[in-house]
Amino acid sequence: MALFAVLQTTFLLAFLPLRTYQSEVLSEPLPLTPESLSVSINSAKQCLHLQWTVHNLDYHQELKMVFEIQISRFKASDVIWTGNYSTTVTQNQVLHWSWESELPLECAIHFVRMRTMVDDARIPVPRFWSNWSSWEKADAQNSLGDHPLYVFPKDKLVEEGSDVTTCYISRNHQDNISCYLEDVLTFGKQLDQSVWAFKLKNISFLRKTGTNFYCQGQGVPEGVVLFVSKVLEEPKNFSCETRDLKTLTCTWDPGDDTGLIQLPSYTLFESFSRKKTLCKHRNRCDWQVTQDSQEMYNFTLVAENYFRKRSVCILFNLIHGVHPVAPYNLFPKNVSATNATMTWKVHSIGNNSALLCQLQLLGEGKVIQQHNISVRVNGEYLLSELEPDTEYMARVRCAYADHFWKWSELISQNFTTAEAAPSEAPDVWRDVMFVSGYPMVTLFWKPLSKVHTHGKILFYNVVVENLDEPSSLEVLSVPAPANSTKVTLNQSSYQIHVTAHNSVGPSPASTVAISGHPGNENVEEGRINGTEDGFPMSWKPQSRNATGYVVEWCDGPQNLPCVLQWKNLGPTTTGTVISSGAFRPGVRYNFRIYEISTKRMAHLLEKKTGYLEELAPSYNPQVVPNNLTSHSFTLSWKDYPTESQTGFIQGYYVYLKSKAGEKCHRGFEKTVLPDNSVCCKYTIDNPDQKTFVMKDLQPESVYEFFVTPYTSAGEGPMDDFRKVTTPDEYSHILIHIILPMIFCVLVIMIACYLKSQWLKDKCYPDIPDPYKSSVLSLIKSKENPHITIMNVNDCVPDAIEVVNKPEGSKIQFTGTRKSPTETKGTKPAYLDLLPTEKNYSGPGPCICFENFTYNQAASDLGYCGHFPVTSQAPHCQLGPLTSPENLLKTLEQNYMNSLGEIPAGEANLNYVSQLASPTSGDKESPPTNPPEPALCSEYKMQMAIPLGLASPPPSENSSLSSTTLLDPGEHYH
Amino acid sequence: MRAQSMQRTLLSLVLRLLLLCMVATGKCSGKYHELLLQLQRQADLMQNPSTLLDPYIHLQGLHSPILKGSCMERLGDFPSEDVLWRLSRQDFLWTLNTTLGLFLRILSALQQDLPKAAQQQAEMNIRGLGNNIHCMAQLLRGSSDPEAAEPTQPGLGPTPPPPSLPMLPLDTFKRKLRICEFLQGYHRFMRRAGQVLRGWGERQGRNRRHSPLQGLQRAARRTWPFPGLRRLAPQGQLPR
Repeated sequence: MALFAVLQTTFLLAFLPLRTYQSEVLSEPLPLTPESLSVSINSAKQCLHLQWTVHNLDYHQELKMVFEIQISRFKASDVIWTGNYSTTVTQNQVLHWSWESELPLECAIHFVRMRTMVDDARIPVPRFWSNWSSWEKADAQNSLGDHPLYVFPKDKLVEEGSDVTTCYISRNHQDNISCYLEDVLTFGKQLDQSVWAFKLKNISFLRKTGTNFYCQGQGVPEGVVLFVSKVLEEPKNFSCETRDLKTLTCTWDPGDDTGLIQLPSYTLFESFSRKKTLCKHRNRCDWQVTQDSQEMYNFTLVAENYFRKRSVCILFNLIHGVHPVAPYNLFPKNVSATNATMTWKVHSIGNNSALLCQLQLLGEGKVIQQHNISVRVNGEYLLSELEPDTEYMARVRCAYADHFWKWSELISQNFTTAEAAPSEAPDVWRDVMFVSGYPMVTLFWKPLSKVHTHGKILFYNVVVENLDEPSSLEVLSVPAPANSTKVTLNQSSYQIHVTAHNSVGPSPASTVAISGHPGNENVEEGRINGTEDGFPMSWKPQSRNATGYVVEWCDGPQNLPCVLQWKNLGPTTTGTVISSGAFRPGVRYNFRIYEISTKRMAHLLEKKTGYLEELAPSYNPQVVPNNLTSHSFTLSWKDYPTESQTGFIQGYYVYLKSKAGEKCHRGFEKTVLPDNSVCCKYTIDNPDQKTFVMKDLQPESVYEFFVTPYTSAGEGPMDDFRKVTTPDEYSHILIHIILPMIFCVLVIMIACYLKSQWLKDKCYPDIPDPYKSSVLSLIKSKENPHITIMNVNDCVPDAIEVVNKPEGSKIQFTGTRKSPTETKGTKPAYLDLLPTEKNYSGPGPCICFENFTYNQAASDLGYCGHFPVTSQAPHCQLGPLTSPENLLKTLEQNYMNSLGEIPAGEANLNYVSQLASPTSGDKESPPTNPPEPALCSEYKMQMAIPLGLASPPPSENSSLSSTTLLDPGEHYH
Repeated sequence: MRAQSMQRTLLSLVLRLLLLCMVATGKCSGKYHELLLQLQRQADLMQNPSTLLDPYIHLQGLHSPILKGSCMERLGDFPSEDVLWRLSRQDFLWTLNTTLGLFLRILSALQQDLPKAAQQQAEMNIRGLGNNIHCMAQLLRGSSDPEAAEPTQPGLGPTPPPPSLPMLPLDTFKRKLRICEFLQGYHRFMRRAGQVLRGWGERQGRNRRHSPLQGLQRAARRTWPFPGLRRLAPQGQLPR
């Protein structure tokens, strides 16, 4: 105790000025100064860390103090920041304080100093600042190497949208250093001789691997990577639930990723229990429910990263957030055609709490039944009113019964009910054709709907019952899926029953009755117009006892095989709308309405025809123009079928164009065609009229016509116009004359041909051949063997000899026909007019002859020429045959030859023949033995001489005239 | 001295057999030219920077001309062209296989820095090439062709410098550039390897002056060529 008393006395004496600690108020200010100030650099956080102590504090003394801190850069005198730091200080306490530098600390030397002042209410004012501490230097450049260029800050974390200051230090004071943010040149501010700073504003997130800032001097670029973080978002949709009342699960939407490899942390804090857990996932956290029956939970979720801290709260009642686990083992049990029992199990919650389970029955994807069942462990429910042979899906989900919050996930199971017999009779119709007076019935039936089949239809039974012979039954079995069959009947009455069968049994029967005789088919056909809904039609009942009506039609166009369709209607129905997806615009459909009698017999009631929508005709008729006259022609298109058109043909338009562009004819009207040409149009409003006469046309004119039908929807397509040219007005007259004339000429020609020999004999008798003459042989043999026949070719034709004959010689020949040889004794008097050749040596031994064939007077006088013969061969020669002269000669010879064949005695005219030479080609003349030596003969043209001139006096003039007639083109034979 | 040489040869042989047995998968083609052509094609494919380097540059944002220009192969990362030409065929295959095996490990260490798809594709390419190297080595070993052990270029070649993973700096920017240089070196190396392989096809008619044992002997003189493997310590991307 003594020792304690001594120590206490010593303590009080030593700290006398501060003993006010034990009293309420200090009496005077205290000289407290910060000591042991040290400064360090945290490069990662770019912070200056200050550490110091305050001496001269009493033991247990606590004083509130203010520290004024000054920070300088580069030089101690360049203060860049001054601030106060207030705290409560105890004895020997080491104080810490940090200052974050905007400029990277490596780029500049920093100096720090501070002073202090007591700021305690117990200390009376005035209060005084202590002295400044000495400047403490913070130099990060000491740790740098000897690299010429450094860029700072290294690997700095930055939040998107904030500003960052970078800098570089150039050790060798390079001037040509360029700095880039990514690849964009950036300009900075020089802070020192070797330090430049760059302020990068509103920096944005580019990639997770950071944004590059680099500078390049003379060597390798130096740079830093700025890791930009997106702003941490507040968690959204924060909620908690429990599945088993043992574990809580809280979930949230963390929002966008911050883009850093380091993810934000998520912490869950419960305020009632003051428990905290670090979440393993960024969107979910589990929390163990305590056993102390805590129902209410106040959760706070804190999301935190380097820059921000975000939090959300939720007050959660455990009972109100039960989300049961999905049930399991759902199975059907005892499945019949209409019933099935479903069983399932649930996971227990808490102390076997009840669950509310919902059983859903789905058919074809739709919920058709829904039942709620309370379940603790096992669930079971009987589903009834099911359809046979139908696939269903059963689904179950459960919720907490005490407080519904959320259904569990669904589990489902498919099952199919058992089959049953079809519940409905098939819809049956018939088509009756009478072949040789016997009905051939085609039965059609529609497949039963799935609702009524109750299983797979295997076959159809067709029972044919002869009503006239009740004992005879014919049964046909038609395998499915056939929907028709044919039955040939006799002329009795029948009832036909059709049933559909599946594996369980038959359907009810459908019955149709067939009469053995054709009914009345002569029913007038009416027209109907289709609408968007189909074909509306109505009819008048004929009988009061009708059991129903049937409308039948073919689904396809008329040119396709008929797919027979029908519709059954009740007995009270007198109208219906026939609709079908197969109906198409522009197709004509024919409907027949039958009335069904009590005996199931069908009687034709009405016929209807119509279009769902009429269209304009798709093609035009082939028009043939005929009966063409100078003023009219007829157009005909009789083979144009109106039944198969795309609408009811109401008539035809006849278009007419004439080149003259004259006014339209009567009945026509002017119209403008799509090509803007103007023409005349005639409307035929009778669809059965398929001819049209174009009248009042101009002769020798070109007309163009075009015929197109029209329906209520419009006219047919515009085709090319056809041209017709009307003939000349008189051409028919010419035809009437010329044709008979041609006919007559032909008849004459044929007659002439047939009688040519006769005609020839009559008109051109054969010229006697002197070689064949008996006289010649007589002369040769008796008088002079050298005498021969003159060859015409050897004679120069342009020398005419005029013979002067004594009158007496004429008399000598009168009435007598003698051979020329007979005139030998007579000396002819003749005159050489023109010597044709230079070497012609004058009159030689020539034969001269005259032909007075056409000289009637001479003929009458019985004149006959004589043939003087010279002993010397003539100098004239034959030219080539191709020269006109030679051609003439050849023709002459041919003709002479032909004449030579005529017997001399048959000639009417008295003439002296111009002899054909042996070289003329006359085959009948002796080929050999020509007159040797060849003698020149004189030729005298045969010419028609007027009677007055028949015997002119021989003179030189006359001889000259005769010579000019020797032109080859003017020969007369 | 002779005994020492023999020991090295045996050691080399054992190492090669172990290596090739590890690689051996599937059936090898026995056709030399077919195999050589396949190796050439694979080398051509792998030398293309678009398979690995370009995706890396894009991912790291090094596509500016300045940064791309500084992304050059660093000497010593991969065997030089001169060395490759001086190797015998078997030595060349061994060096190629070893280098690529090491590179494969480096790829795994750098998976955070590389695009995933490009990295996986590069790994598949290297494994495929490794199989063909194995087949070619087997073919050469089975043949009595003295050229198999003959250097591609005459003259005694130096021991190929071991490929090594660079010591990656802590500074992320420097690390980016260093990996870029390393990948550039990989593509250049594959290009050189392709040229050597093409040289094989062109040297069919050359005189054979060296025995097949020469290459093996040289290889036996070599020690394990990857001391740098011990330094393979991929650094984390962010030094925090």
